Amino acid sequence: MNRREVIRNVALMLGGTFSAPTLLALNHRDTATKANINLGNFSLTSSEQMLIAEIAEIILPKSITNGQSSPGAKEVGVPAFVEMMLKDCYKETEQKSFLEGLATLQKVKFLELNKDEKSGVLKLMEQESKIITGKTIPFWRLMKELTLLGYFTSEEGLKASFDYHPIPGKLENIKISSSQKSFAY
Amino acid sequence: MNIIGKSKKNNTFDAIVVGSGMTGGFAAKELTEKGLKVLMIERGKEIKHVSGYDTAMKEPWEIEHRGKTSNLSAEERWANSRFWGLGSEEVVNHLTNDKENPYIEKRPFDWIRAYHTGGKSMHWGRQSYRWGKHDFEANAKEGVGIDWPIRYEDLEPWYTHVEKFVGVSGQKEGLDVLPDGHFLPAMPLFAPEAYFKNKMFEKLNRPVTVGRVANLTQPQEIHTKLGRGSCQYRNKCQRGCPYGGYYSSLSGAIPAAMLTNRLNILHDSIVSEIIYDDTKQKAVGVRVINQHTFTTEDFFAKIIFLNAGSINTAALMLNSKSGRFQNGFGNDSDQVGRNLMDHQLGSGATASIDGFEDDYVFGQRPNALYIPRFRNWGNDKQTSYLRGFGYQGGASREGWERGVNADGFGDDFKQSLTKPGPWSIRIGGFGEILPDPNNRIFLDPEKKDKWGIPMIVTDAAFVENDWAMRKDIVSSAVEMLEMAGFKNVTPYDRPTHMGLGIHDMGTARMGHDSKTSVLNAFNQVHDCKNVFVTDGAAMASSSCVNPSITYMALTARAADFAVKALKKKEL
Repeated sequence: MNRREVIRNVALMLGGTFSAPTLLALNHRDTATKANINLGNFSLTSSEQMLIAEIAEIILPKSITNGQSSPGAKEVGVPAFVEMMLKDCYKETEQKSFLEGLATLQKVKFLELNKDEKSGVLKLMEQESKIITGKTIPFWRLMKELTLLGYFTSEEGLKASFDYHPIPGKLENIKISSSQKSFAY
Repeated sequence: MNIIGKSKKNNTFDAIVVGSGMTGGFAAKELTEKGLKVLMIERGKEIKHVSGYDTAMKEPWEIEHRGKTSNLSAEERWANSRFWGLGSEEVVNHLTNDKENPYIEKRPFDWIRAYHTGGKSMHWGRQSYRWGKHDFEANAKEGVGIDWPIRYEDLEPWYTHVEKFVGVSGQKEGLDVLPDGHFLPAMPLFAPEAYFKNKMFEKLNRPVTVGRVANLTQPQEIHTKLGRGSCQYRNKCQRGCPYGGYYSSLSGAIPAAMLTNRLNILHDSIVSEIIYDDTKQKAVGVRVINQHTFTTEDFFAKIIFLNAGSINTAALMLNSKSGRFQNGFGNDSDQVGRNLMDHQLGSGATASIDGFEDDYVFGQRPNALYIPRFRNWGNDKQTSYLRGFGYQGGASREGWERGVNADGFGDDFKQSLTKPGPWSIRIGGFGEILPDPNNRIFLDPEKKDKWGIPMIVTDAAFVENDWAMRKDIVSSAVEMLEMAGFKNVTPYDRPTHMGLGIHDMGTARMGHDSKTSVLNAFNQVHDCKNVFVTDGAAMASSSCVNPSITYMALTARAADFAVKALKKKEL
């Protein structure tokens, strides 16, 4: 099954045609019939936590480059970070948008999909997140931004990814080769 | 509970300085160094240089919300968090809790405050530019506001005095629009910035220079003897610098004043009013309310310097009523609280830059590039607005943050974000705001804060001249970035209120005439000569350059005058 087929199948699973922001439309229909979520006390269920851990790891997986291993998002604590940030730093509209995104993924039994199918679903979400215009931030954007933020500012993620100099002590223009990692401070 | 009798002696000093920030610190330094016994009164908590900078050495992962503002911070710091990044744990505890110190916005005003030792000097942007001759002359020439009672030449030696003490890194350019100062070695422009500088000179004859910034690129003895060292290029200045790499009241003026053994500092002490003696026809002291115990105590001095920050200084004057000053202290002119100014901030343009792939920078520059004012200057004449603006900005290589908006995820995506991204550039305007008597603060006639002091009401907004200039700030930025050949040139114009420039000023202006101004040419209150106002309140116009160094120069000049007058028994 190629990627196109996966996406078509996901679309069929979602039960709709595929033109406009299908996922968003579905979300709205879904939550309209859902009982009120207590957002003042934002928290995730264990199955939702498993879901974001899986997605975070797909965004930034454990990897080995030139013999050097670099931790994945799960290993550096991104899933808990994402949940904490949503609770502490985001308003109800974004929290709701995030929960709706998770609900959609649960509906397609995301965790039971194979690797290619998971990737296909997320690529679809990424494209849809660009079409969606509205006041709230789509699930994918929240998830991706917080995964990157949590990972690249974590101790293990930062040190594995960048050339870390907390106290540079000097400032100079330099020439670099293509293998130079970004400096972090 | 007012102090009387014997203890009055203990509460008597040569001078009282209200406020410990940028100008309060400098006033205390100058006055103590000239032999006066000074009491500095700070309304907020004590922060000690170095040991009080509790976030300064935190690693990125130790900042809980990694630079984002938590909902709790946003609620407690409802005004401060309007400024980018001030809600972050890196700095938030050093900014005023707006919920506990509320003000009333008749018209919205972004009032950014830092109630603690050193005030906003701990957090300032450190950009340090002299005013030009034209800045002091413009009001008179154009019939705007009132004429300044001083000219550039009056302030010139004091700029030098301040620059030497503060330590300003910068490049001499020989421009009338932006007079050179006494500089430490300049920081470098980055490769695409140097290219931009050449292009702007070639195509528009507009100079571009590196920012003049109060960070020590090469500390001198005057700095090292206070324990200040070289900038470490961490660019974490706003957290407070344990190296004393940038100037603040905490790292510079207060330690210098302490060395004289003539400085006493009171913390957690709100000056509620100036005590005026109708018989002696002068101010004799100040009344202070303890933040926590709510007890009242009076302190006395021969001279008083008001350096509480423009808005609080004006509010203090308005709240100080006496038989002589029934309309507020020194307010015969009805100008106290009026002519509130700030600078335009939050508009400009960004662009991406092709090339320069093998150019990179080691270290973080706590500084920007600077494009001096070119509008209504030389042969340029704008029809839609008066005065002008400068740009601050810079080029940098994008970091991992570019991944947020880019497509993709997975192994290759992750690896790509560990490398420096393409260069991009941003330039944003700082524009001059004209004085307008209808832009003001006043005291609410009924509502009081928890210390029983009338609440401050802000009633100010940009006017036609400001909006016309703002439009040009955006379009000129686009024009310049396009002319340099940069790609994806994108204008930005973030909606802001007055105040966001954090350069509030003008609320007790200097002038020739006591009927139209509050202070004379030496920052003395016209009708009460032993009180000096030398913070931003004194400004009769705003220029377009960052103001702190001018405030400090005015302060040093006024302190010199005050001590000489005291010695001649004229005060």
